[in-house]
Amino acid sequence: MANIIQAASRRDILKISAATAVGGILGAARANASPKQMTMMHESSFIPAYDAYFKNTIAPAYEKATGIKIVYETVSVGSIQTRDTTVAETGTGPEMAQMAFNWPFLFDEKLVDVTDIAKTIGEKGGGWHANSAEAVVVNGKWKAIPFGNIGQLMNYRTDWFDEVGVKTFPETWAELLEAGIKLKKAGHPFGFELGHGFGDNHGWLYPLLWSFGAMEVAKDGKTVAIDSSETAKAIDFCREFFQKTMLEDCLGWTDVSNNKAFLSEQISCTNNAESILYIAKRDFPEIGKATGQAQNPKGPTGERYHMLNPWTHGIFTHTPDVQAAKDFLVWLMDPKQVTGWYDVAVSYYGPFLHMFDDAPFWHTEPRNLPYRDSMANSHLPGWPAPISRPQSESVAKYVVVDMFAKACAGKSTKDVIADANAQLKQIFKSA
Amino acid sequence: MSATFVEQRPTSRLRRWTEREGVFSWLMIGPPTLFLILLVGYPFAYGIWLSLEDRPVAHAGKFVGLANFVADFHDPVFWQVAINTFVYTFFATILKMVGGLALALTMNQDFRFKNAIRALMLLPFIVPTVLSTIAWMWMLDPGFSIVNWFLKYTGIADPGPSWLGNPTLAMMSLIIVNVWRGLPFYAITLLAGLQTISPDLYEAATIDGAGSWARFRFVTLPLLKPVIFIVTMFSVIFTFADFQLVYVLTRGGPANATHLFATYAFDIAMSGGQLGMGASVALAMLPPLALIIIAMSVYMKPHKS
Repeated sequence: MANIIQAASRRDILKISAATAVGGILGAARANASPKQMTMMHESSFIPAYDAYFKNTIAPAYEKATGIKIVYETVSVGSIQTRDTTVAETGTGPEMAQMAFNWPFLFDEKLVDVTDIAKTIGEKGGGWHANSAEAVVVNGKWKAIPFGNIGQLMNYRTDWFDEVGVKTFPETWAELLEAGIKLKKAGHPFGFELGHGFGDNHGWLYPLLWSFGAMEVAKDGKTVAIDSSETAKAIDFCREFFQKTMLEDCLGWTDVSNNKAFLSEQISCTNNAESILYIAKRDFPEIGKATGQAQNPKGPTGERYHMLNPWTHGIFTHTPDVQAAKDFLVWLMDPKQVTGWYDVAVSYYGPFLHMFDDAPFWHTEPRNLPYRDSMANSHLPGWPAPISRPQSESVAKYVVVDMFAKACAGKSTKDVIADANAQLKQIFKSA
Repeated sequence: MSATFVEQRPTSRLRRWTEREGVFSWLMIGPPTLFLILLVGYPFAYGIWLSLEDRPVAHAGKFVGLANFVADFHDPVFWQVAINTFVYTFFATILKMVGGLALALTMNQDFRFKNAIRALMLLPFIVPTVLSTIAWMWMLDPGFSIVNWFLKYTGIADPGPSWLGNPTLAMMSLIIVNVWRGLPFYAITLLAGLQTISPDLYEAATIDGAGSWARFRFVTLPLLKPVIFIVTMFSVIFTFADFQLVYVLTRGGPANATHLFATYAFDIAMSGGQLGMGASVALAMLPPLALIIIAMSVYMKPHKS
C-alpha cells in the first residue's frame, strides 16, 4: 500500500505539468462554450487509492487546465448497473459513466457514438486490443471507450501444490483435476463458484465450456448450439471436478465466498480476479507469499480461454455539451494522464491499449503477468456469437451456470443439457 | 371594529362552505387519494403497461400484448420460482405465527425486566435487514458457522452441512432467517392484542372450571383472531415479495433453488435489461397473492355477532 501511494505522488508532479500543457490547448479552443462542471460515475473500487487518484489528481489537474470541474461520483460495489439503468432511462444525472460487460450494447441508444475519439485515443496509445471491439462496438459504432479489463485467473496456494508434488500450475483441466484429487485428500479442497454471483461463476464456466470446443449459441447469434457432445464432455468433466476436488458449499456461493474461503485457508485453488492476491498481501502476508496466479487450463481442444470483463466509459446522450465530455475522455486516456491511474491500481485494470503491453506496472508484481497474457483469449459470455439482448437474458437467468451446477448436484448430463437447450431456445426465439 | 367585521365576512363564508359535509369530506379524502394515485396507482399502472411491452432497457417499447406472460409460462425457471415462493411464504408464515404467538404469550406474563426484554425482543426487526443478513451469511458459512463448529467439536459431523450450498438446506436456511427477522413483528402485535383481553373473562372461565388450555382455546384465541388475521395478512404480503434476504445470501442459487418472484424479476429486468419481461414476472405475484388474501379473509375474518 505504501509503495502504491509513494509511486502515485512521484508521478503526480509529471502528470500535472503535462495536464496543464494539453489541457491548455483544449481549453483555449473551447473557452466560450465550456460547461462549468461534468460528472463521471464509477463503481467504487476495492482499491481505495484508485478512486482517490481520480478525485485528488485527475480532476484537479483537469480543472486547472480547462476550468471544468469533474465530479467523481462513486456507487457501491454491485449497484452500478442499476444506477446506469436509471440514468439511461430517465435521461438525467451524470454525463459520463463507467460501464461493464456488454452494457454499451444494452444502453446503445442512450450512449453517444464515440468512434471518432476512440480512433484518436487508439492512435495515440499504440492501437486497441482486438477484443475491445467485442465489448463496445455496436452496429459498427464505438459506444464507449475501453478502460481496463478485470481479468479472472486461477488463484492457488503454491505451498500446498508443492506438498503434493505439483511444482508448476497444471496446463490442462485434466491435470488440474489430478492435482485437485491429491489436494482434497491432503485436506486442501478446491473451491470454484457454482452459485448465483455475478462474476466468479461465469468467469470459469464459460472458459471451461469453450475449451472443450462447446458453445451456447452459434456464430450467427441465433442458432442455439448448446446440445452437443462437446457440451456433454464439459459437463461430465465439471461434475467429476466438483465431486472429487471441491466443497459442496460451492454450489451456493456468491462472489465474496471464494475470497473468504481462500483467505481463511479453506481452499487451495479458485478462479478469481486479482483481489485475492491484493488483499492477501495487505492483510494476510503469509498467505500472500504462497499465492500464485495462472492462466486458465487448456481443454481437449488444446486452447485456453478467459472471461472478458471490460470496464469502459460511456457518454450519455442527455449530456448538454457532448464535445466537452469527449474532450475530457480524450484527455483522460492520454498516456500522460491514464498511466498514473493504471499505476495506482497496479495491474487490476488491464489496459486495452497496446502501448501498455509491457508497462512497468506489469512488472511491479510479476505474478500478475498472466492477466496481461490472458487478454488475447478473453471473451464475453456467449462468444463466439456477438453480444445481443437474448444473450444478456441468458446470463441474467444463469442458464449456463445452472446447467453445470445442476449436473454437479447430481442431475444427469442429458437432462441438464435438455433444460438449458429448452431455456435457450425460448430466449433466442426473438433473435 | 367595523373594518375587522368586513374582513371577517368572506372568511366565515369560506369556512361555512368548507364545513358543508359534501365539501369537507372531499377535502379530507382528496390529499390521501392524490397521494395514493401518484405513489401507488401510477407505478402500478406503469408496471402493468410495461409487462405488456417488449421493453429493453434504454429503448422505446413495443406493445406485445400478453406475449411476456406466455413466455413466462413456457419458462421452467418461472414455475420453479413460483413453487419456491409458495414454499417460502407458507413455512415462514406458519413458523412466525406459531412462534410469534408463543413469544407473545410468554411476554404477557409478569416477570423481572419485562420491559427491557420486550424492547430487546424487537432487535431483529429494527436492525436493517441487509446488515443482519450479512451476519447470517457468516453464521451459515460452513467454515465459520457456530453450528458447524459445534458439530465438528462434538464429533457429530465433519465437515458440517453446507447451509447455502445444498438446495433443500438453502431454502430451509432462508426460511429460518426470515422467521428470525419476522418473529418480533408477530410477537409485539399479538402482545398488544393480548393486552386488550379483559382479565374478567379469564376469571369467569376459571370459575366455570376451564383449565389453562381451555382458557387459551375458548377465550384467548377467539378474541385474538382479528389481530392474527391482520398480522398474518401483512406477513404473507411481505414474505411473498421478499427480496433482500435472498439477494444477500444466495441471489437465487444454487441453481435457482431459492429464487423468488422478486429476485427473479430483478435479475431479468436489471441484469438482463428486459424491463417488460421483468415486470411480467413481478406482476405474476399479484393474482396468487390476491387469492391468498381473499381466502384468508373469508376463512379468518371474525363475524360480528
